[in-house]
Amino acid sequence: MNGLALWVHTPVAQAVGWALIHFLWEGAALAAVLAAALFLLRPASARARYAAACLILFAMPLAFAITLLVVLPGHAETVTAAHLPNPLARLSAVPAFQPAPAPRTFRDFLPWLAPCWFLGVAFFYARGLAAWLAARRLRQRGTCAPAPDWQDRLTQLCDRMRLLGPVRLLESCFTDAPVLVGYLRPVIFMPLGCLANLPAGQIECILIHELAHIRRHDYLVNLLQGFVEGLLFYHPAVWWASRMAREERENCCDDFVVEITGDARVYAATLAALEHRRAVALEAAVAATGGSLMKRIRRLLTEPQPAQASATPAFAAGLLLITFAAALAAWPAKPPARQIIPAVALQAPLLESQTIEPQSSPLTGALQESQIPQRQRTTFLGLMNPFAQSGTQTAPPAQRKGGDPTAQQALTTPYRKWLNEDVAYIITDEERAAFHRLQTDDEREHFIEQFWLRRDPTPGTPENEFREEHYRRIAYVNEHFSSRIPGWKTDRGRIYITYGPPDEIEDHSSGGSYQRPAVEGGGTTSTFPFQQWRYRFIEGIGTNVIIEFVDPTMSGEFHMTMDPSEKQALLAVKGLTPLEQTGITAARPAKTFRSDQDRRITIVTGGGSPSGNTASRLNTLVITPDPVAGRFHITAEVTTLGGQTVQVVAQNVLAEISGPFVEWLELPVGSYILRATITDPNLVSKSSETRFTVD
Amino acid sequence: MPAKPSDPPRPTDAELEILTVLWSRGASTVRAVHEAIVRRKPTQYTTVLKLLQIMAEKGLVGRDEKQRAHIYSASRPAEWTRRQLASDLLQRAFGGSAKSLLLGALSSRRASRQELAELRQFLEEYEKGTP
Repeated sequence: MNGLALWVHTPVAQAVGWALIHFLWEGAALAAVLAAALFLLRPASARARYAAACLILFAMPLAFAITLLVVLPGHAETVTAAHLPNPLARLSAVPAFQPAPAPRTFRDFLPWLAPCWFLGVAFFYARGLAAWLAARRLRQRGTCAPAPDWQDRLTQLCDRMRLLGPVRLLESCFTDAPVLVGYLRPVIFMPLGCLANLPAGQIECILIHELAHIRRHDYLVNLLQGFVEGLLFYHPAVWWASRMAREERENCCDDFVVEITGDARVYAATLAALEHRRAVALEAAVAATGGSLMKRIRRLLTEPQPAQASATPAFAAGLLLITFAAALAAWPAKPPARQIIPAVALQAPLLESQTIEPQSSPLTGALQESQIPQRQRTTFLGLMNPFAQSGTQTAPPAQRKGGDPTAQQALTTPYRKWLNEDVAYIITDEERAAFHRLQTDDEREHFIEQFWLRRDPTPGTPENEFREEHYRRIAYVNEHFSSRIPGWKTDRGRIYITYGPPDEIEDHSSGGSYQRPAVEGGGTTSTFPFQQWRYRFIEGIGTNVIIEFVDPTMSGEFHMTMDPSEKQALLAVKGLTPLEQTGITAARPAKTFRSDQDRRITIVTGGGSPSGNTASRLNTLVITPDPVAGRFHITAEVTTLGGQTVQVVAQNVLAEISGPFVEWLELPVGSYILRATITDPNLVSKSSETRFTVD
Repeated sequence: MPAKPSDPPRPTDAELEILTVLWSRGASTVRAVHEAIVRRKPTQYTTVLKLLQIMAEKGLVGRDEKQRAHIYSASRPAEWTRRQLASDLLQRAFGGSAKSLLLGALSSRRASRQELAELRQFLEEYEKGTP
């Protein structure tokens, strides 16, 4: 401590102290010059503005060094003469009742500035070292090489931009935005999943941006910037100038990307998508002050925006005036005071024009509006699944849009519905597994947002065309394909939701006569209602895909079939087709009988017998449950017209909602009555009699 | 986040590398993981296999044994592990200070939800303005 006390009063410490004090106004003056330059260079390129910022920033340590050199020999003498024999003795010599004059106290404490400054510099440089170590660690931990074609693509871009050294591309789980690390051996780190999920064009934009940093030696400049910041850490003007340089540097690289790709819109969308990904990946509570990305995107897409008025230059100016006054008071004889007068005069009007610059109002105007997309997103969740509430019919799209805010309150169910109903056909197994692993609703909501984002053909725009189309398809199938079960659960619904509207539909919904193509046996036959959908192309499946749907139960529920003969109502029986082909047995026309009392019961007679016994025929009995009924019990028997039981079809059999109750009956030719009693879950029984004939 | 008994332990650096491959590529066979890792540094296939087996025991990865070649997948999402690692003091001290050194297309500060909404609004208006 004694050594320090002694050192503090050496001329060097004194000089450092003075240099630090002088830099207060020097830094402020330089910042003012920079503010003026940036203001005047508004129409100029980002490159010019960046050059100005860098020039001023690096002029700051220069100014500090020059001051130190100037102050060192000349002023040291004054100090020695005035204070040094022994300042402590001088202080004690002052009579106790007389307070020490202010300038003297200031001068006494001045030399202590140097050690304090050293401490600060040491702190900031230690932090810089830690940053460097951390950046190295980033190379070593939690990284993996991307697919080889991405590294190739990067090398191609390097060649195109005439970059000499090799540049590596790695995926890292520790960054949430693409970053560049290293000067001699630069590495570009992409956040996990970025390469896989963003469109290739957008990734190229990002790579070009990072390569532009390499080409412009930004990493080195940034390091030097760190040195200046640490050296003159106590002056806000330094930090401000450094920030300006960083901002303009990004703008330079932005311009570069647009120059090379020629499309500002794609690049702007890329930046927005990246930022969005990051926000979704980890919700961070951030103070909502001044969006620099917003500024950059505005700048990219529109003409250069006037620089936002910033408090820092004004603050620096204030500081300048105060220190100027202080310096004058403390050191009236010194010449540097004379030098600054023109600087102050120069900067005052400029600063004024800077501060009265109006705040760009669209920013604040957008605030209320901006809430809208957010709210839409969350309500989507709430009404993800209207299906389950009604069981059968779903709300039309118009209703869905409105949404019920209370639906959001239901815990976990909206998420389960989202998983099992909304996206059941399009979610991948990995995604499903990942979703099951999530533990909080917050995570699930983020997952859902990401899920759609990954599929958004135009990330960065508020609309997600994929999601819109998906929900349109769901609405469509529920409107058109619903029978007993909701449209999305039917085969037609599944195909429509997964592959979209077919290019062509051959509709035989009314059944009846059907001219069979040769491959199916030729000739004319009677069919159940069926549809054939043709897709010109389905990715992963092939071209000209024809999918057939048949409704053998006549309930409106078509199911997908691979068997071309299934639609043939009468010929669905094994063994018949060969007979028919040889012309031994002609197909019997199908007859449909419906109960008068209960439309749910349908009996189809016709077809042949597997055994070839023409005396008995196979017939289909179909009982379709009421749409609202869940399970029901059936008792049914077939009797002769005289009331004699021929066959008991069902004895209090429990039928599920999941399918119609279908029975095959083999009956001799003749007329019959089907007596059926259906008991619904409310124990309400309905009996009906249906007359039908087998011929 | 209090660690539940079922939570896997913090992965080591070597394990983290394998996890990163799994997060990046999705569920993969040992061969696929090895192929990705060997492109960064020479590693034996058996080393990767052994590591994956250890990780499966620790619960860091899940194993699907339905097919002949076992398929491994990360048992926790990357974000979860990142948060788990962030509670490591060293990691936190380093991660925070590294930001000033990194150069990226985005600033180190995340945009708030509000800013994102503004951004979307702006892009939307821009799209409308220039069809």
